Amino acid sequence: MSKLTLDSFKNKSKKAKKNNTNFIKVGLSTCGIAAGADTVFNVLKEELKKKEINVPVLRCGCAGMCYAEPLVEVKIEGMPWIIYGKVNEDVALKIIRKHVARKQVINDYIFSIKDE
Amino acid sequence: MQNQKKIILVKDTNMDKETSSMIDKFLFGLRERGLSEDVKVIRAADLNIYNKGVVVKIWPENITYANVKKDDIDLIIHRTVENGKNIDELLVSETNKQLRIVLRNCGIIDPEKIDDYLDNEGYCALAKVLSEYSPDEVIEQMKISGLRGRGGGGFPTWMKWNFAKAQKEETKYIICNADEGDPGAYMDRSVLEGDPHSVIEGMIIAGYTVGAQKGYLYIRAEYPLAIKRITLAINQAREKGLLGDNILGTDFSFDLDVRLGAGAFVCGEETALIASIEGKRGCPSPRPPYPSVNGLWGKPTIINNVETLANIAPILHNGGDWFASIGTEKSKGTKVFALTGKVNNSSLIEVPMGTTLRDIVYNIGGGVLNNKKIKAVQTGGPSGGVIPENLLDTSIDYENLQRLGSIMGSGGMIVMDEDDCMVDIAKFYLQFCVDESCGKCAPCRIGGKQMLNILSNISEGKGDLEDISSLKRISQALQKASLCGLGQTAPNPVVSTLKHFEEEYIEHINEKICRAKKCSLLSIYEIIEEKCKRCSLCQRSCPVEAINGNREVGFTIDQEKCIKCGKCFEVCKFEAVSL
Repeated sequence: MSKLTLDSFKNKSKKAKKNNTNFIKVGLSTCGIAAGADTVFNVLKEELKKKEINVPVLRCGCAGMCYAEPLVEVKIEGMPWIIYGKVNEDVALKIIRKHVARKQVINDYIFSIKDE
Repeated sequence: MQNQKKIILVKDTNMDKETSSMIDKFLFGLRERGLSEDVKVIRAADLNIYNKGVVVKIWPENITYANVKKDDIDLIIHRTVENGKNIDELLVSETNKQLRIVLRNCGIIDPEKIDDYLDNEGYCALAKVLSEYSPDEVIEQMKISGLRGRGGGGFPTWMKWNFAKAQKEETKYIICNADEGDPGAYMDRSVLEGDPHSVIEGMIIAGYTVGAQKGYLYIRAEYPLAIKRITLAINQAREKGLLGDNILGTDFSFDLDVRLGAGAFVCGEETALIASIEGKRGCPSPRPPYPSVNGLWGKPTIINNVETLANIAPILHNGGDWFASIGTEKSKGTKVFALTGKVNNSSLIEVPMGTTLRDIVYNIGGGVLNNKKIKAVQTGGPSGGVIPENLLDTSIDYENLQRLGSIMGSGGMIVMDEDDCMVDIAKFYLQFCVDESCGKCAPCRIGGKQMLNILSNISEGKGDLEDISSLKRISQALQKASLCGLGQTAPNPVVSTLKHFEEEYIEHINEKICRAKKCSLLSIYEIIEEKCKRCSLCQRSCPVEAINGNREVGFTIDQEKCIKCGKCFEVCKFEAVSL
C-alpha cells in the first residue's frame, strides 16, 4: 500500500458519490451479529452465487435501529432503497429471489426507506 | 419512466389493526380503475413515523400521508396515484429529528476498509490541519465550536487541550477513554465498531495540537469486535502513512497503541485509567494535579471520550462556526444516546442538543412498550438520575439535566414505565456502585454499603421514616468526601428518585406497599376464586406448602407461611393468582 501525502488530499472531490450502483449491505456490529447477521450475510452471498447475480454484499457498522436487527440495506436500480429489518434466513432468501431477481418488494420487513 | 411501477406502503402507526383492511381497500380501488398491474401495495413494518394513525407512503414520488382514513383512499388513488397531485391536508413533512455527526459513517461505510473512510471525507480534516493550521489555530477553532466532553462531565475540550499544550514537556500523551461501563450504554462500542478511523483521526489531531507523540486507546476487554476493528484500523492507517513517523510527509510523528481494561468500572475514571495503563492497580488518585498537567507516567496527558474524539474531524473539516450553529447556547453540537428500557424502538440515536426527551421517546423511540404510561427516563447511568414524566419537555443540555438532578452522562437513556419501582431502581444502581467501588476511600466504601442496607430495608417493608433523612445525609457525605467521580456521583440515583418520587418511598415505609409490585416482599399473593380452575399447579409448586385446600373446595394461600417467592404467580396459567 503506498503512503498518502498532503498532496493526496488536494484534488479530492467533495464527496465521491457512489450511489448509482446496486448493492446489499448488512450491519455487522456486535448488535447485528448477536441477532444473527452473520448467517444472513453468508446466506445472501451464497444465494447470489447460486443464482449468478452480480451484486456486491457489503459489510457496515451499526445503523442504530437495534430493535430491528439484523438489518439489510438493499439498493437496486428501479426499486425503492429499502432497509429490511428482523431479517432471518428465509427473508434473506426472499430478498435475493424476490427483491433482487424479480424486483418485488417484500411485505412486513420494511423498516425504513432511504431517500435517493 | 413509462413502465415504472408505483409502490404504496401502508402502516398503521398506532396499532397494527388497521393495516390489512386499509390494504384491501387500496387493492380494491386500484382494481376498479385497472391499476392493479402498475401499482403494488405493501405492508411496511416501520415507516419511522409514530402515533399518526395510518401512514401511507407513495414511491417513487416519496409522498407521505398520515392519519389516513378509509374514505381518503379513493381520493389518494384518484388524485395522487393517477394524476400526481398532492393532498395537502394529509401531507406530513418528514421531520427526521436525528442529526448524525458522530455517527456520520456508522452503518454506511465498511469499518474494516480504510478506503471507504477516505472516500467519505476521511482524514481530510487531518490533511487540512497539518497543511493550514498551527496548533493555536486548532484550539481557536475548537473554542469557537464550543465542544464539551461527551464522557459525562461536559468540560470544554479546547480548555483541556490548551492546558496540556501549555506544558513545557517533551513527552505528552493522548488517551482515548473507551472503557464504557454504564448499564445499558453502548455508544462508544458502536462508534469503534462502525467507524474506528473517525476516532483515530481525532486522536492524531489532538496529538498534533498539544505536541504529543504517542496515544493509547483504553478499551474494555468485553468489546472483542471493537478491539479487533480498531487494531485493524490502526494498522491500515500506519500502512497509509497516517500514523507513525512523518505523517502525510510532514515532520509530525504520532503513533497509537491499544490497552485493554480488565473489567473494572472505576477504570473509566481518568486517574484510575492512567494507573491501569501504567500497570498498577486501577485505583483513582486525588486531583489536582489534573492529567493535563501530570498524567500518564507523570507527563501531560489528554483523556477524551470516544464520542468527543469522533467529533473533532467534522469540526475542523467544516469549521468551528458550523458546529456552534447546532445545539443550544451552552451545549453545542449533537449527543449520541443509547435509548433502551420500556421503549418500542431500542436504538442508538444522535440528536442535536436541545431536543426534548418527549421527542426522543415518542417520535424516535416510537413510544412506550405495550402503550403503558411512562413514569420517568433515567439518564447518565449509575451517576445520573431520573427525570419524571412531567418534566419530559425539558430540552436536553448539560445544564438542564443537572438542574433536574440528573446528568448528561455518557449517553445511556433508559425509559421506565409504571411497572418500575423507583426504590428498586435506586437500589439497582447503588448496588452497581457498591460492587464497583475500589474501596480506597472510606465514604464510598462504607457510605455506599450503608445506603444500600437502608434501601434494602425499605424495599422489604422494614423501613422507617427516619431512613429518608439518613439517606439524604449519607448522600451528601458521599458527594462531598469521596475521592473520585464514582463515589461522588453514586448517590445521584437515590437523591434524584427521592427528589421526584419521595411519595413512593413513604408508601413503602408507611403502608408497606410497592405500587409497581416490584418489591416482592411487600406484595401479598392471593388466589382469585372466579378465575381459579382448581388445577392444583400452584399448590404443587409452592416450596413451603403455604397453599391450603384441594381440587374439590379450591385453594387459599396461608399468608403466615408464604415467603413471597412468586412461584404460584409464575406457574398459574389462568392468571388466577393476584399480586
